[in-house]
Order: sequence, then structure tokens, then C-alpha cells
Amino acid sequence: MKILVYLGTGGVGKTSVAAATALAMARAGERTLVLTIDPALRLRSALRLQEGLLEQQVPLDPPASGELWAALLDVRATLDDAVRMYAKAGMVDRILNHPIYATIADSLVGMQELMAVERIDQLAKRGFDSLVIDTAPSRHALEFLDKPMYFSELVGSNWVKLVGRTYKWMATSPMASLSEKVLDVYARVEAILGTDLVRQVLDFYSIFVSIAEGYAERAVKTVALLKDPAITEFRIVTTPRKAMRDTRFFLDALESRQFRTGGVFVNRTWELDGAAAGEGLVGSLAEWYAAVRQSHAAELDSLRGEFDARVPFIATLPELDSDVDGLPALERIGAWVAARAVT
Amino acid sequence: MAQQSKIAIFCGKGGVGKTTLSLAMGLRHAAAGRKVVVVSSHPLPELALSVSLDGLGARSPEAVQNLFVVHIDARELLAEVVQNNFPVEWMVKAVLNSSIYRNLIEVAPGLKEFYFLARLQALAERQDHGEADFEYLFWDAPATGHFLSTLDSARNFETFLTGPLAAAGAELTRFLSHASGIALLPTLTLEEMAMEETVEMCHKLAARHGMTARAAIANLVSPLATAGDAGVEAVRAALAERGDDPVLSFAFRRGLLERGRRELLAQTLGAPVVAVERVRHATDDVDLLFQIAGALESLPAL
Repeated sequence: MKILVYLGTGGVGKTSVAAATALAMARAGERTLVLTIDPALRLRSALRLQEGLLEQQVPLDPPASGELWAALLDVRATLDDAVRMYAKAGMVDRILNHPIYATIADSLVGMQELMAVERIDQLAKRGFDSLVIDTAPSRHALEFLDKPMYFSELVGSNWVKLVGRTYKWMATSPMASLSEKVLDVYARVEAILGTDLVRQVLDFYSIFVSIAEGYAERAVKTVALLKDPAITEFRIVTTPRKAMRDTRFFLDALESRQFRTGGVFVNRTWELDGAAAGEGLVGSLAEWYAAVRQSHAAELDSLRGEFDARVPFIATLPELDSDVDGLPALERIGAWVAARAVT
Repeated sequence: MAQQSKIAIFCGKGGVGKTTLSLAMGLRHAAAGRKVVVVSSHPLPELALSVSLDGLGARSPEAVQNLFVVHIDARELLAEVVQNNFPVEWMVKAVLNSSIYRNLIEVAPGLKEFYFLARLQALAERQDHGEADFEYLFWDAPATGHFLSTLDSARNFETFLTGPLAAAGAELTRFLSHASGIALLPTLTLEEMAMEETVEMCHKLAARHGMTARAAIANLVSPLATAGDAGVEAVRAALAERGDDPVLSFAFRRGLLERGRRELLAQTLGAPVVAVERVRHATDDVDLLFQIAGALESLPAL
């Protein structure tokens, strides 16, 4: 199995590029799945994506020699599912109904990434030739991979033990195991941040412990898959305007973690040459095009100058003159991706 | 002058130009002699790398006097709180370095956002002899999801908690619902995803906070997006006459997409959509910002 992970900041067209790549792989005969995060409405309907956990085969016309499957990363549903599967009996409802649970699923930074790890683990067992992963549009999309033990570290903390499962820590927690220092520090933190908030969060962690261990085990496996250069390749998607900053940032992040960098796609590049001049609005439209075209070319020159030696390929993908409004647009982008990527 | 700064919030999808527009707006007012603070979502060293204000002194000494740019880092605010509340250094270090504190800060829903808002409010209410210290406060807000959860944090604290933080939450909610003093300026490029996100964000802001857009700002548009219908027809005719001109035809089709979206957005939001044309030539960043500031003249008064 191959895994292809696309990284990029918001608005660069990462989701379309990921879907188009998967489509091209299906056309090349592979059984491929694309896991997307937040596709635009039209792309969502082109891929027939539904909320929930089931992956869906995308009907292609003409049919491909392989298969294209698509799944939506639904953080809340993935988390619910993990709780139901891995929480100890009797804990499921307490977790799902906990006041912190809803806010944590919605607002916890990194939850999307943590749940992506969970989904990759599930999907890796389904017999696909390749998985194409569209990550969250964030510069921090890689940080989650640094902490597969995230939940179990949290719930293993002295503070969580201190607060205890039902606040009855006096009765149940062996006080001897906690030093006075810990108690003092905890009391003061609680005073600063607010008793309710701290206790709610810690209480939640303490009941969440039952899924944390299972989660950590799977996360360690998934991270090992992603670190294996024979299996996983990371690609950066950016746009001409953001190319230098994004490439520098993601390349550093990938290299420092020893992930395999496949290449950089500078998406939405204006590539046509030869704008004809004219009068009035025609003239200013031509001038507008030429200015954008020139700035894109300049950005690309600097990008190649600085990063050519560090990545297997830097390739452009042209801007379309319409929206990515369905499979035909994805076919075009997919053909460019297949032709321009160096593997 | 009022007792509180007039506030404008530049909010919307990542990468649409909120930072540039809020700086341009700040420059415009500062150059006109008004004291302005721009609250940037980027740490200042990072900001300095992407926008240079070199040459501002020569262009407008007035603006140098009146423009302040700050970044509010909630983690630092919280670290300060810890510093001030623990008597000895080893405790401060023990807390700041403990993984559970760091995790608590990250995951306690809305905690960082809450401290951020409280500092924003303090800036807006800072007074000197009974008058607002800053006449204008421009908030270069974080990208949509984080912006919404920041606003939500005040109300969540009021609703879910008790004690001093809940009281502070109620206070912040009052500050935010002072609708006439806060101009919401959703910012976007006229692209599909940015449109969808903007519309959805405005629905949520109206439903949860009773906030409606004063105006939307469409950034980086083509000359076609602001042209009259006659102009569009002239381009169409020129294209037909030329037969095959792939470049002009590409530019025309992109421009038409933007026109359609601008109209649709104005209808959907029930607010004007001010278009800022992509700047074609600028001598430096200051020049760029002043050109953009010119395009923002047509915004409704704050």
C-alpha cells in the first residue's frame, strides 16, 4: 500500500489536488481512496461525499481500470465511533454525555489531525492500493504526529489522578503517591484558571482514559506507516503568492521529522503567455493578467532557486478559468498531476 | 472623542488578505491624524517578514506617529498570570513546564481565546483623561473557525462556569454585543471556497452573536469585477473580433466569475461589497498599502 499526504495552508486548492491525484491513480488501475477534510460544495457532490464514516465509491464515466473511493473526515463521528469501540462498558454514555465532550470534539486544536490518524488506521486495513490524504489547512498539521501518546500522557498525569474520576479523590486516590508540591501547584492553577473549568477538563480526561490507551497503540502504528519512506510520501501544495513561505515552513517541518518529501505543487499558477494589448477595459484586463502572470513567474524563479536541490520536484499546476465543479475538472487536474509529478 | 475605540473586525478565510487590509486601513486613518491600533493575528517578527513599513516616515510622518501594531499572544498572557500568582520561581517553572498545564491551556475550551478577548477589550477601553486612547482599533482576526470560537468563548464562559471567570465572560459578552461600536468587515477573495465560508460565517455570527456585516471587502479582484455593464460588453465584443486570444479569454472568464459572485454576495449578506482591485504596480509595501487604502475609501463610515 502507498500513502500520499498533501500538506498546505488554506485556500491553495489542496482538496481538489488530492481528489484529482486519487482520480488519476484510479485511471492508472489502482484501487484508491481519497480522505478529504472540508471540500467545497460542488466537489463534495462530485465525489458523492456524505457525512458520517462510510467511504463511498465514486462512479466514473468512462469507468476507470481501477476504483476511486472517497471518504470525508468527520471529526465528531470518528471520535464517537472510537469511543463506542474502545471505551470500557458503562463509560460510553458518560463520555458521550460529558459537558466537555462536545466542546472538545469541536474546538480542540489538533483534534482533526488526531482523528485523521484514527481514520488512516481504519482505512489501512481495507485493502486499498493507495490512500490519498488531504490534511487540515493548517501549518500545524504535522505536529500531531509528534505526539501519538497525547491522550494517554494527559490522562496519566498526576493532576488527572488528583482530581479523580468523580471528584472523590480524597477517598479513592492514594494521597501518598502525590507530593505536596503537586498538590500545592494544582490548587494554585485551579485558583487561577477557575475551579469549574479545570475540574471539568480533568474529569473528562479521567473518564477518557479508557479509550486513550487503545488510541495511543493505533497512533503509534499509523505514525510508523507515515514515517516509512517506502510507503508514504508527503507533497506540499501552495500557490504562487505563498510559495516561498509555505515551502520553507513545510519542508523544514518534514525534514526535521525525517518524513519523505515527494515534491511541491504550485497550484493555481497563471501560465498562458502573450496577452494582447488593447484600449480601455480590454487594455486594463490585459495589463492585469500580465502583472499577475509576471509575479507568478518571479515567485516560481525564486522558489526553484532556493529549493530545487532539496525536493525531488517543484511543479506548477495551472489555474482553471472556471470553478472545480465536478469530475471533468478533476480529470484535467489529475492528468497534470500525473504528468508533472516526478516519482 | 468617544470613551471607547471604534472597532472594525477584518474576518474571513485564511490567506485572503485580512492582515494587509487591516494595515492599509490603519495607515489611512493614522495618516489622517487619528490614533489607531491594529491588532495583528501574526507575531510581529513574522509580520515584519511579510510586510515592510520601510519608507513610511518619508511618505507620512503623521502615520508613523499615530499607527500602533500589536500582537496579542494568549499563551504569554497566561504565563504572565502564572508569574504573578506564584510566589517562587521554581513553582512558576514547574507549572509552565508541566505537560498538563500546557495541555490544559491548549484544550480547556476557549481559555486562550478568552484571555485574548479580555486584552482586546482592555485596549479598546484604554483611556487617557476620559477619552479613548485609540480612536480606532482594527482587529486582523484569525481565520474563520478560530475567529468564531474566539467570540464563542466569552459566552461559553458565562454560560458554563461560575465565579470570576463567568463574571468576566458576561462582561465580555456585553462588550461584544455593543453592536453599533463594532463594524464587522468580512474579507474574502471572490472564489468559491472563500464565498461559501464567508456566507456560513455571517450566518453563524448573526445567529450566535446578533452581529451583521457592515460591508464585505472583496480583495484582489480583477478590473472587470468593478466595471460597468457597458465595459463588459465592450470586452466581449473585442474578444469576438479577435477570434482566438486565450489569454484575454482566460482573464475575461475569471473576471466574469468574480462579477457574478460579487453580486450574489451583496444580495446574500444584504450589505455592500467593496472591491479592492489587485494592485498592478507598487514601488514598495508602503506604496501598496496606500493604494489599497485608497480603494477602501468607499467603505461605509465606521
